Amino acid sequence: MENVLYKPFFNATREVFQLMLDISNITDKPLCVDGVCYPAGNVDIAIRVIGDMEGMVVYHFPKETSLKIVKIMSGGMEFNEVDEFVASAMGEIANIISGNVMSALSTQDITCDILPPEFIAPETIADASAKYKFVSGMQICSEIGDIDLNILLNVKSGAEKA
Amino acid sequence: MLWKDKYNLGVEQIDAQHRELFRRVSDFLEVLRSSSSWEERVGKVNETLSFMKDYVITHFRDEEAYQIQIGYPEYDAHKQTHDDMVSYVAQFAAEYEQKGYDEKLIQQFAGKLLAWLIHHVAADDQKIGAYAKKKGV
Repeated sequence: MENVLYKPFFNATREVFQLMLDISNITDKPLCVDGVCYPAGNVDIAIRVIGDMEGMVVYHFPKETSLKIVKIMSGGMEFNEVDEFVASAMGEIANIISGNVMSALSTQDITCDILPPEFIAPETIADASAKYKFVSGMQICSEIGDIDLNILLNVKSGAEKA
Repeated sequence: MLWKDKYNLGVEQIDAQHRELFRRVSDFLEVLRSSSSWEERVGKVNETLSFMKDYVITHFRDEEAYQIQIGYPEYDAHKQTHDDMVSYVAQFAAEYEQKGYDEKLIQQFAGKLLAWLIHHVAADDQKIGAYAKKKGV
């Protein structure tokens, strides 16, 4: 199941970076989710997943990366702090990536939906990881910094197809 | 500058409307993100918000008419995406007014709108252009 999830999330993130930010050179590396602990002051967003799989995907956008992303999207406006505008823009990006993954999974007969982005405290990831069977993480590396995706999901009984 | 030439679909009417929409969003963001006090900005912010909001509805209507005209097969899904956004904007506008034009609320709205719009035009709308080109319409 990890393999079924890892690639679609990477592909969706890469596509969004290309389309929205004109950044095509991105790489990934696996990330250990267990015990992950992020400092405060960044943007941590949970996208809850319901359906054949249930749980959440937590996106960690470091402050500097978030500021660079909104600068690119806004056509060069300067942003100095993570405020409501910046956090909300990151939330929408996480929403778009997750939505695209759910569309990709539906072609493999895995039916899931997502809920609106929630801004969470970073310790939530470590606290939650024990509750989920499929725990996987990846760091997306690019010229504007790295973002982490922590995938924490259970497959509903009778729905495990991969 | 928000607009990028790669957003062009090759359909002049839609491309012209997209450029105008991006110009209005850009005007809205310029005022919203300027450094003067909220009291000084709020009137202009609300004016540019209204100007942009009206144009979103006009543009969605015209783009949907074009999709029907060319027999775009993903019309229903695309219209649903538009309808969802229009509902979100209406819901936001009501709450914003009800809360006495709260700055944090509109900053939140603007961040989402910017990301949504860029992705919608750069990804979803490009499929309309590709279909029109394929069909030679």
